[in-house]
Amino acid sequence: MTTTPTFMDRHHFLLRRLHSLTGIVPIGMFLIAHLTTNSTIVWGAINTRAADPLRAADGVVQVGQAGERLARQVGTFQHEVAYINDMPFLVLIEITLWLSIAFHAVFGVMYARSGRSNTRRYAYQGNWRYTAQRWTGYIGLLFIIYHIGTLRWGWTFLQPNNEPWSHAHASSTLAAALRGHEGAWSIGGVFVAILYFTGVTSLIYHFANGVWTAAITWGLTVSEKAQKRWGYVCAGLGFALMGAGWSALAGFLALDYDAARSIEAALHGTPQESIMVQQDATETPHTPTMHITQANTPLTTEGGDN
Amino acid sequence: MSNTTTSIAQAGTRTVRFRIKRADGHKKNVRWEEYDVPVTSGSEGSGSANVISCLQHIAANPVTRHGERTTPITYDVGCLEEVCGSCTMLINGHVRQACSCLIDTCAPRDGDVITLEPMTKFPVIRDLWVDRARLFETLKRTSAWVPIDGTYHLGAGPMETPDEQQVRYKLSECMSCGCCLEACPQYLIEEDVENWDSAFVGAAVISQARYFNMHETGASTKKLRLDALSEAGGVSDCGNAQNCVKACPKEIPLTESIAAMGRAVTVHKIKQFFSGQ
Amino acid sequence: MAIPSSEQRVIVVGGGLAGLAGSIRVAEAGFAVDLFSLVPVKRSHSVCAQGGINACNEVARQQGYSEFEHFDETLYGGDFLQHQPPVFEMTHWAPKIIDLLDRMGVPFNRTDEAQRALRLFGGSLYKRTHFSGATTGQQLMYALDEQVRRYETQGRITKYEFWEFLRPVIDSDGKCIGIVAQDLRTMQVRSFRADAVVIATGGPGLVFGKSTNSVMCTGAAASRCYQHGVKYGNPEFIQVHPTAIPGADKLRLMSESARGEGGRVWVPAMKKNGEWTPHPTPGMAPRTVPVDERWYILEEKYPAYGNIVPRDIATREIFGVCRDGFGVGGGNMVYLDLTHKPKEELERKLGGILEIYRKFVGEDPTEVPMKIFPGVHYSMGGLWTQYTPAAEYERYESGEASIDNTRVWDPHKRPACGLDAHADNNMMTNIDGLFAFGEVNYQYHGGTRLGANALLSCIFDGLFCGQSVVQYVTRRAKNLVADRPQAVYDESVEGEHKKIAELMSRSGAENPYVIAKELGDVMTRESTVVKDEEGLNRALVCVSELNDRYAQMSLADTSGWSNQNLTWARAVGDMLILADPILRGGLARKESRGSHYRPDYPDRNDKDFLKTTIATFDPVTKQSMISYEEVETGLVKPRVRDYSKAKAKGAPTASNAPKKQSAPLGETVGTGSGGAS
Repeated sequence: MTTTPTFMDRHHFLLRRLHSLTGIVPIGMFLIAHLTTNSTIVWGAINTRAADPLRAADGVVQVGQAGERLARQVGTFQHEVAYINDMPFLVLIEITLWLSIAFHAVFGVMYARSGRSNTRRYAYQGNWRYTAQRWTGYIGLLFIIYHIGTLRWGWTFLQPNNEPWSHAHASSTLAAALRGHEGAWSIGGVFVAILYFTGVTSLIYHFANGVWTAAITWGLTVSEKAQKRWGYVCAGLGFALMGAGWSALAGFLALDYDAARSIEAALHGTPQESIMVQQDATETPHTPTMHITQANTPLTTEGGDN
Repeated sequence: MSNTTTSIAQAGTRTVRFRIKRADGHKKNVRWEEYDVPVTSGSEGSGSANVISCLQHIAANPVTRHGERTTPITYDVGCLEEVCGSCTMLINGHVRQACSCLIDTCAPRDGDVITLEPMTKFPVIRDLWVDRARLFETLKRTSAWVPIDGTYHLGAGPMETPDEQQVRYKLSECMSCGCCLEACPQYLIEEDVENWDSAFVGAAVISQARYFNMHETGASTKKLRLDALSEAGGVSDCGNAQNCVKACPKEIPLTESIAAMGRAVTVHKIKQFFSGQ
Repeated sequence: MAIPSSEQRVIVVGGGLAGLAGSIRVAEAGFAVDLFSLVPVKRSHSVCAQGGINACNEVARQQGYSEFEHFDETLYGGDFLQHQPPVFEMTHWAPKIIDLLDRMGVPFNRTDEAQRALRLFGGSLYKRTHFSGATTGQQLMYALDEQVRRYETQGRITKYEFWEFLRPVIDSDGKCIGIVAQDLRTMQVRSFRADAVVIATGGPGLVFGKSTNSVMCTGAAASRCYQHGVKYGNPEFIQVHPTAIPGADKLRLMSESARGEGGRVWVPAMKKNGEWTPHPTPGMAPRTVPVDERWYILEEKYPAYGNIVPRDIATREIFGVCRDGFGVGGGNMVYLDLTHKPKEELERKLGGILEIYRKFVGEDPTEVPMKIFPGVHYSMGGLWTQYTPAAEYERYESGEASIDNTRVWDPHKRPACGLDAHADNNMMTNIDGLFAFGEVNYQYHGGTRLGANALLSCIFDGLFCGQSVVQYVTRRAKNLVADRPQAVYDESVEGEHKKIAELMSRSGAENPYVIAKELGDVMTRESTVVKDEEGLNRALVCVSELNDRYAQMSLADTSGWSNQNLTWARAVGDMLILADPILRGGLARKESRGSHYRPDYPDRNDKDFLKTTIATFDPVTKQSMISYEEVETGLVKPRVRDYSKAKAKGAPTASNAPKKQSAPLGETVGTGSGGAS
């Protein structure tokens, strides 16, 4: 009884609430933005202005074999990527996010390990949600590590296609990373695609359910009725994000690599070859500055025109 | 007649098989024994048989179905009408009171099997009897009482509207049976008394804290309860599986109590942060 | 070994309402309390009490009710077998007890104005029963349990839960100086020292096999005191509750509050030539029975009180109609009908018992009338106790003074003719330092207990008479605990060890569970609602045979750990011993009074039997010796008990208040010639 309480015990409440908070801000907020951005690979089709830089004098977009629809999709996504990369203090934002994820993950694993799932005896819906919250947390964490590691930190050894993701070719290199090959699927790509599907689904569930439980934890929804109502809202949020996540995944998995490549090249106002040359160069993929500058050129020009 | 329980059950005398998990102490000589018990359906006999009356039958004839003489089953039992909470155990895997488990409902046909096990979140004393001392000890952590001045006559207590009374009454029906704790994935067995002060208190105790905070005089020690609930093992250890409210035989709105206490602790802590105390 | 302590200590055996209230009072006075209970105290049998707790209140007072009226009703209901001063004190204390419980946070039902709601209960025409849903006992228990827990954290009460009381330790001066108890988990037997011991172990319902009591209500603790020389009072007065649901393991109580809230008792019947005859199809669906084929038995026979006649009367009527073939479906059941009441109101006021009925019968009592039958419920009798009347009682008793009506109506001006609050012997048994509180105490209820008076008497004992324990310890047991020789404790422990060894070594063919069942069957058959000489003698023979068979018993379990087989077998022996005074008391009481009904002596006989039955244990024959003691009736003169009419005589009622106010109550009160003791 007289043992001095541990750090965890002394700040029990604060840590618990920080854990809950970080899940929503910034992680959850970022998740929403990220999924929205990525789903533009599908929904970008309705963005007519995205293909404008590629429009010939007659108004027809013709880049290699690609039609206007693909140009809009790739164009929008490229624009979003560029926008993010262009944000001020991006490093700070990134570090905050990574620290939040690390905090949420470390404590989350600790908290998850403090319980023993018992869905076998008590197969209630709520109990399944509880258990799923823990499993999706674990899966989500592994997925995030893989996702950031491969696409942000360039752990290409974990990518079947070994090709780093490039900001300048956001859509095409991502599609290649997911499929494990530029064109057709590789065996490894199937696993990557499955991992992505599982990871994205897990994280969305984890977030939506987390928002629901957070409302109870913080005491926003007290009555059973309120909890139920908020449950519908969170389910709505979850399904909307699933729609975004799954469509993004489907969009990239089905992307025509070569066509996207040529669209991206055209957007930069650079012939395809020069990009290829650049890639052959020995610069590390960790330094995105070059790409950003290049990638932004035509778009900023376009922005300047307006 | 619209008697639902008896209409399902087979008429006449039938045999119900009991599989009972026995032990001589916590994790000591754990074994399963099986008994065949004759049961008459409630509409014909002298009243509905329940798990307790079957255990009484076994006590009077302690012979397994294989004909081996054994000892009567040890179990905790009290009121037999589901208000004392004693006879809580796992019946066919689910936690509940044995007294209100009617054989006609849970084993309506000849040869049906009923499995009995002790609760898993408390140390076994013997067979189906467990020691729930931790539950009562935990009530002390949250000052689960109204701090009255003493028993001398000081007039009536605070007035209360019927609505408030109805909410408090429901919470006050908690009989500390432990069903909510047994079903809770966050509440784990803790044999070391030293750890009782930091292990999760569980839904029953959180709900009791709410009960006392709702009382005008009880609220004078609200701070003590909220402080206790904000510490390790407090309300934030809840994982929102919400099994508690499903398992509660008294249908106490435990999840609402948890949320209400979550809110109270949040407000309390924010106030404390800004006021410095 | 007892742990010597320099501190003055009190042992309380039993963690129900009486035990907890007593513990709180004694702890509050600054003494250490060791509280023993067979079960965690929160699970004590008091949680089964449903209906409520009686006390005069402002609304009833303004309608003409008073503490005095409550006192008078209690006596009238109990057929005047009570000593009057304790009842007088209890009823005058009742409002204070309600206030205290209210302060402790008991969620009493409320009126729209946030006042405490009241309901009607048996034996009264005034609403004077405070209630908390239909689980009042549970709510009161929890409130006291919480206060005890509070004292526990302060180190002033120590709980010994899952400990069984085996015997009082009595020294050579005849003083109780501790107890021997056994841990039901480890089976350790040891003695505990104390300056005073309070027995608050409830009633002996299990002597009757199936009853409304919890399984720990064997009466074994009372029996053990009785076997060690404590007198047992009025053993034959056993209350059979009119409305219980039969079950395979117990009879589940359907509170009197169901009738207090408007429930009606009826059976299907046909009226032929002005006489009711059994219904041709007694099993037909109750709601299809035409109104003129419903015999509302209590309303018809007792127009004034109707369904809220005292329990013994309702029980005999229900028992009677079933015997005469009117029972539902031809069996032993009548309807208790609430279906005419609004559902919402029923849920709010009776939710607890409706839930019990739904869970255990499977029907919804708000839709279908409940099927009920009487079941053994409460023992008015118990350990005999003494008291000291307050200063003025003697003047009233001798006829020198009489209760002045106007004074009685004002509780602050009540005469001091109840108990002496400063006495050190209130509710002390004939053994010095051994007190009996609650149901195990024979006081207050006489021939029949009125509904909702039990919770009152339990808490009153604990709070008021707890003060006597304090006085006793202060005045007569100062600094004794540590100095006492160990030998007497060791001897007592040795005695219990021997008893256990002897039980374990028995090797006959009999089984204690079977013996208990047969005891219950014979006791219920011969000594409950209707008793006669022949039947009681039959039962005595049967009990004696069971005693012989008990000696031929063997235990299926002889292990030394948590052996419930042993504890049950030991309790069965004590139950068999307690059955004897219950039967002999009934046999000797050749009259009918309250719940004691002898068709062979159908009338009340005040001349010979306005007396307490006292049973004393004869250690040689193991039988009881019956003697009688005069009852103190100095305040209200016994009158004929007739519930078919509203009260015509006695204390003022709303209907006759003006007339009564002008005339002193001398004609009925204060001129009694009850013997003093």
